[in-house]
Amino acid sequence: MATTGTNHLQAKLVLLGDMGAGKSSLVLRFVKGQFFEYQESTIGAAFLTQTVAVNDATVKFEIWDTAGQERYHSLAPMYYRGAAAAIIVYDISNLDSFARAKKWVQELLQQGNANLVMALAGNKADLSSKRKVETEEGKAYADENQLFFMETSAKTAQNVNELFYEIARKLPKAQPAQQPAGMVLTDRPTGDRFAIKSTCCA
Amino acid sequence: MGKESNLKMELQGGSDDFKKAVSRRTKKPLSLSTASQPQPKEGVNVGAEKGNTKGTVAGSSSDAYEVVYVKDNVSVHPTQYASERISGRLRLIKQGSSLFMTWIPYNRARFTEENTEFATPSNGSMRTMAGKSLAGKPFDKADRNLYTIRAVSLSEMRSIRRHTPPLGWQYVIIVLTNGLAFPPLYFHNGGVREFLATLKEHALLVRSADDANVYLINDTQDPLQKSLTSLELTEVVPVSASATQKRKEESRPLIPDSEESGSGEAHPNQIGQTESPPRKPRDATHDFSINVLEKFSMVTKFARDTTAHLMGSLENLGAEQSHRTRYQKENFDLSMDTLPSNVEESLQGAPSTSIACDDSLQKHGGEGKFSDGLASTNVGTFELVDGAQVYSSSTSSLSFGVIDNSMPLPNDSPALVWGRARPPPLGSEEWATFLDADGRVVDFKALKKRIFYGGIEPSLRREVWKFLLEHYQFDSTYKERKGLTTQKKEAYITLKAQWQTISDDQAKRFAKFRERKSRVEKDVVRTDRSLPFYADDENPNITLLRDILITYSFYNFDLGYCQGMSDLLSPILYVMKDEAESFWCFAALMERLAPNFHRDQNGMHSQLQALLKLVQLLDTPLHDYFKQADCLNYFFCFRWILIQFKREFDYDNVMRLWEVLWTHHLSEHFHMYMCVAILKRYRRKIMDEQMEFDTLLKFINELSGHIDLESTLRDAEALCLFAGERGAACIPAGTPPAIATFENKGIELYQDSESTSY
Ligand SMILES: Nc1nc2c(ncn2[C@@H]2O[C@H](COP(=O)(O)OP(=O)(O)OP(=O)(O)O)[C@@H](O)[C@H]2O)c(=O)[nH]1
Ligand SMILES: [Mg+2]
Repeated sequence: MATTGTNHLQAKLVLLGDMGAGKSSLVLRFVKGQFFEYQESTIGAAFLTQTVAVNDATVKFEIWDTAGQERYHSLAPMYYRGAAAAIIVYDISNLDSFARAKKWVQELLQQGNANLVMALAGNKADLSSKRKVETEEGKAYADENQLFFMETSAKTAQNVNELFYEIARKLPKAQPAQQPAGMVLTDRPTGDRFAIKSTCCA
Repeated sequence: MGKESNLKMELQGGSDDFKKAVSRRTKKPLSLSTASQPQPKEGVNVGAEKGNTKGTVAGSSSDAYEVVYVKDNVSVHPTQYASERISGRLRLIKQGSSLFMTWIPYNRARFTEENTEFATPSNGSMRTMAGKSLAGKPFDKADRNLYTIRAVSLSEMRSIRRHTPPLGWQYVIIVLTNGLAFPPLYFHNGGVREFLATLKEHALLVRSADDANVYLINDTQDPLQKSLTSLELTEVVPVSASATQKRKEESRPLIPDSEESGSGEAHPNQIGQTESPPRKPRDATHDFSINVLEKFSMVTKFARDTTAHLMGSLENLGAEQSHRTRYQKENFDLSMDTLPSNVEESLQGAPSTSIACDDSLQKHGGEGKFSDGLASTNVGTFELVDGAQVYSSSTSSLSFGVIDNSMPLPNDSPALVWGRARPPPLGSEEWATFLDADGRVVDFKALKKRIFYGGIEPSLRREVWKFLLEHYQFDSTYKERKGLTTQKKEAYITLKAQWQTISDDQAKRFAKFRERKSRVEKDVVRTDRSLPFYADDENPNITLLRDILITYSFYNFDLGYCQGMSDLLSPILYVMKDEAESFWCFAALMERLAPNFHRDQNGMHSQLQALLKLVQLLDTPLHDYFKQADCLNYFFCFRWILIQFKREFDYDNVMRLWEVLWTHHLSEHFHMYMCVAILKRYRRKIMDEQMEFDTLLKFINELSGHIDLESTLRDAEALCLFAGERGAACIPAGTPPAIATFENKGIELYQDSESTSY
């Protein structure tokens, strides 16, 4: 069940993005395989964990799902500080959410953590009829800033596991030494407290 | 869960007795006086007491009583408000070989040394009070009476815990052998040491081996200890375990309190002292014993009943002995209504007739059954926190059974046996009694108190919430309210038109409007959709939520819309079922809660900071734990506070809780004590599992839907009372939901840089 030593990695991952972009829905899909049409807004933050296997190692994601509204922006650093990975989410049917995603990207880049694995997720890909942000736009912006990019749908599960899996794959190479201060990764023994997923997806 | 059911059984078992007891009591008028008693005359000797020194011998016959200790300005702090403290006189009275303690609140407004005069003791006349009524409202007579300790024998006392902080007031908590306890008695003029020393002269008083602040009285093998040990509550056992140990050891001398010197000079009005209560570092044992005291903290009514029984028996024994009769009258305040008014006044006690107090307790009023005799001194009617019922037992063992069952709590509840039994919600008939002919609320304080304890029937919420939210003035008439409703409806329509008339063309050039609208629209479609009231797409109620929130963002343009507001509006609309009324009630609520949503997060920070201090005060080990786990930002409680527990309870209970919070009875920051109560309840799990910020936040989020409201409310009440002034000092003035003044706040508090400029 629990893997040992060097083959086990814990990684703090934070989701950022405009309210309603689908951060919580992506996490819920990834962690519990569920989707709710009426997913409540996130107040404060939520914390969940999920483990994926990459090759001969496992990565336990410690996921911070934040509140999207700009009003609560001042709390965000508390959550992304010390993160090994970040997913910036926008809603492909909402232009404003894309603009907001760009701001998040810039903010994180300015943090100067070169080892941070960043992914840009154009969510709600199932809403193609309402699309406002073209795939190419998202891709171009991601390339410009050397982010990993995927269009996802928490509703249909499209690319959700792939997104996390891809991050996990990129992590071991990038994984820096332990981050300082705040909510750092801890060396807690790998828990049986949470379900451990042995593998993720093809 | 085993606990709950056991408890219910116990309660069922007791309920018949209880009903009988009540019906028996209610047949009799609520006077404890007996007509046959001679009227005491002025000049009755109650002992020539000299201020704050030990009393002197009184009475002439050998079996007369002797006041061996008297202390003025000893107070109960029923709420955190200084104005509601009940000051009184504490006495130790010796009669034969027995020692009794009484605490009688002053009759008038609070008592201070400045306006007190003493009659010369030489003529044996009683002490008189030149009771100038002081500024501030005297506490309700009934409330004063509720806390009166008429006579409790030392043989009924189990232990005394003293608190003698270097700054702030000293107080003691007296725990009875049946496991219940009196509320803390604050010694505003110091003197705890003297009090304990006096007790020591008359009873076996030893320090607990585990906690130097706990004194055990008359320690013998008793059922309390049995119940404690059988519960395997290792943390709390030391208090009583030490009791047995001590019997083997030599009794330790009563060590004087070094910190007590000079405290006698402490001025009762030096409230500032409590502003910064530095605390001695406390170890876990120390605090756990506090928990024990909390577990057993009693409903004061129980004390009253107990003493009434005790006095009944005394009366039987010594009715023909006039000095004894006088003794009862004067010290135990049994028949004040028969006394001449000057005597009554000089006794500074509350008439026993007002034992019929103004709340739920009155039904079970403290009329003693005189014939029960001494054997029944353990009989009492008291409320149990977990039972949500009033329970009456006729044997002491039964009451211990109850305590047993309330203790091994699966969720580590502090099980404060302190709160009052919650009466049924306020119904329309009773509501009518609060209104005068023109519809004014005559006594809004009483109304708030009633709602604090019992809530409001759902059908009545629509009307009463408007008062609680201060949309309606309490002193408004039916007519005025009708006028207000019409006028406010028009005002709402005007406000709403402000944005409804914005053309598409204008909207294109109005980013802020577009943003707000879209944010509101994103949230209303995911607010409480599982409720039938908001279910289904195209539900008109969703549109109402939307319209009200957009209108509010124009009404309070600086604040705008923030996530969480839809949660706050939802129950209001559900209750009001009217757009304009909901809007105004929501706006009124936001008058209190707007700082929660300020951009600089100051409103939230001040509350989280206050929470830190309250936990530090009320649960030091937990505070220490959070500290070493680097969790002192308390962000894991962010959601609780931001939206008033809206996500933590089911819908009915949210409404129930909100109306309690909105009364601002006891404290306008009662929600902070709710936070402490919940944290305390799960403290053991949190510490045992060594939760850190992440797992703690996860745990707290997942508590949603699993918190029992009733018992949490009661715990919070007990904590609030227990914390008293020191608790209030943890919460700086202006901390939300205090109504904020917006004038001087810069626009930066509100501005959303969300205005996307493209
Ligand atoms: N069609 C579709 N709807 C989605 C998808 N993901 C999320 N949603 C819906 O979008 C809404 C918002 O989703 P959330 O996951 O709550 O968004 P969020 O980013 O967590 O929002 P905040 O907590 O407010 O910051 C919900 O009603 C979801 O059901 C998706 O992939 N497709
Ligand atoms: Mg969310």
